Amino acid sequence: MTALTTGTSPGPRARRRLRWNPAYAFVAPSVVLIAVFIVEPIVQSGWMSLHDWSMGEASHRMRGFGNYADLLHDSRFWNALKVTCLYTAGTAAGQVALGLLLAEALRRTTWFSSVLRTAFFFPFIASMAVVGIVWRFLLDPQVGLVDAWSGHLGLGHPNWLQSTSLALPTMIGVGIWKGFGFTMIVLLAAIQAIPTYLYEAARLDGAGRVAQFRHVTLPTLRPSVLFVTVIATIQGLQLFDLSYVMTGGGPVFHTESVVQYLYQRGFVDFSLGYASAIAWVLFVVILAVALVQLRVLRYRDVD
Amino acid sequence: MSYAPRRALPSAAIALSLTALAACGSSSSSSTPASDNGKVVKLQMLTGFTGPDRPSYQALVDNWNSAHPNIQVTMDVQPWAAIGQKLPQSWATGQGPDLATPSFDPNAIFQYIKTNSVEPLDSAVGTGDAKVEVSTFPKTVTSAFTVDGKLYAVPANLATLVLYYNKALLQKAGVTAPPATVDELVTDAKKLTLPAGSSTPTQYGISLADHETIQMWPILQWLGGGDIVDAKGCATIDSPQSVAALKTWADLVQKDHVSPVGQTGADADTLFSSKKAAFEINGPWAAAGYRKAGIDLGIAPVPSGSAGPVTLASTVPLMVAKSSKHKAEAEQFLAYWTGKTAQLAFSKGGFPPVRTDLASQVTGDAKEFAAALPNARLYLAGLPTGSKVDSDVYVPLIGKITRGSDVAGAASAAAKQINGITGCKA
Repeated sequence: MTALTTGTSPGPRARRRLRWNPAYAFVAPSVVLIAVFIVEPIVQSGWMSLHDWSMGEASHRMRGFGNYADLLHDSRFWNALKVTCLYTAGTAAGQVALGLLLAEALRRTTWFSSVLRTAFFFPFIASMAVVGIVWRFLLDPQVGLVDAWSGHLGLGHPNWLQSTSLALPTMIGVGIWKGFGFTMIVLLAAIQAIPTYLYEAARLDGAGRVAQFRHVTLPTLRPSVLFVTVIATIQGLQLFDLSYVMTGGGPVFHTESVVQYLYQRGFVDFSLGYASAIAWVLFVVILAVALVQLRVLRYRDVD
Repeated sequence: MSYAPRRALPSAAIALSLTALAACGSSSSSSTPASDNGKVVKLQMLTGFTGPDRPSYQALVDNWNSAHPNIQVTMDVQPWAAIGQKLPQSWATGQGPDLATPSFDPNAIFQYIKTNSVEPLDSAVGTGDAKVEVSTFPKTVTSAFTVDGKLYAVPANLATLVLYYNKALLQKAGVTAPPATVDELVTDAKKLTLPAGSSTPTQYGISLADHETIQMWPILQWLGGGDIVDAKGCATIDSPQSVAALKTWADLVQKDHVSPVGQTGADADTLFSSKKAAFEINGPWAAAGYRKAGIDLGIAPVPSGSAGPVTLASTVPLMVAKSSKHKAEAEQFLAYWTGKTAQLAFSKGGFPPVRTDLASQVTGDAKEFAAALPNARLYLAGLPTGSKVDSDVYVPLIGKITRGSDVAGAASAAAKQINGITGCKA
């Protein structure tokens, strides 16, 4: 790379493959940065995952795929994977469904719908850690607002974040609340780009609002729905900050995600080799899920 | 409150700066060599005392600095989580502060010993003001900090847990004196849980925390003659006494609702501060905050059980970096820190001194805590895998049994897990 950028402009006899292009100079810094800060650590973590690698120790024993074999027998890892998948399915489905409904409902631009759109988009702007802290306070059984209201609404006083049956659903709810604004805005933009003559034609054919939504809006929106589903899924699989802040993975691992377990093994116990193996397994899972989604949703395209 | 097992939320900033830390490596300064003009040695010290007791520690440093113009100590205070992230790397690579408290968990020292990052302090041990007088430390502390016959840390502080109680609430319920035995504590805790029989009381008998906290549950086990591991690292969590004690208290929480389930240390403190709990087992860092919250505060020894009087001691290890260029000066500073004068001044802040030879001169709150020292035990004392046993086994176990899991079954599963971690071949 640098060899290319530092050479003077080669004469006409230079080989085509090495022809100097000023664009190289512009991409060079990015390429170097990506190589040093992204590619190299990825390769390094792959290498570490094959070793018994503890922070600060001089020697690292080669284990081959020993870490991966241990993972297969690690019930806490499987639990974390289950939690992560449930959270992902819940939040992705919730965000897309809710976003779609609201986008349809707020289609027409009025003063009121603009206010609502802004309000719904707000949680998406806030950082996940802040959202987690705020909700943790709201859900606190002693001082939380939610507890006070649930009493008035006759729901009793469930301890939302400390009950083994309620903690994960509660967290999924917060995850949906945090992200549906984004899916709504993306789908809204897509809906508004649908040519009006399609709707007019449907109306002439006697389609009501529901039929229009089913036969005009949904088919046209398929690429956008695919896009937000994949994004929501990938974000869901990377769950860390919300559970770290809201429950710390508790009660008794019921909300411990894969990334959180990775963090515990890597940066609390300093078993970096094992943590790297977890990271690689998660990478493969995310890649597979994303590929499957792209496939499935693309094949259903009706032209 | 201060010394961190009892912080509220781990600061989000820490979680988010994780990547930054990983990318930038250690940003802490390595020790600066003595400057030529004036020959002033500068020592860097890193601690995690972010709480209300911070000024007491700073005062110790300031007094040293005014008495030793040629050895100036700078104390950098950071949250425990941040220290846990950065220090292992920086010390292992020969950088970082000359002195540090690596964690509030004494078992954290093993990790640093394993990576050969810390200096054994035996050359500094002796008698007199210029030496570290190890013989005056409680035996539990010395043995926890001694590995393979070498002393690797001195106690930066020493705390014991007592029974805090809300005098006003006890009076209202007609309880005239704090409980002296575990049986009395059980009776009182039930009596003070109101309204009686409710599954969501508005007032709890006792505020127990089971995670992100200084451990309270081990005390409840010790009182009944139970324990978690023995000296060989073999699990005793499934012994009949351990199971009986765990069952008693799990039932009290589960069936009688004497304490909320699943509290962090910060939650437990908040509950007691807001006058919604009558008792709490806690350390010296909590007293000032409770009084500020307007509580008519009573302090009593932890009631004694069938196994006699016992409570939990906790101590923060203070260590010298292997890579420090000023080990002699750092050791002098440790001798001063654990010396009579400094410890007596420090006890004015409500903490007991780290020395056992000052008991007669200690006044105020510190007296209560110092009095408990002879019966105090460290949690998972001297167990190299202690941190892991705590986070992977003990904390989840308490979480399970307070939510209705069968105690005997959960305890025997925990015992297997513990033996797997410690390598006990029982």
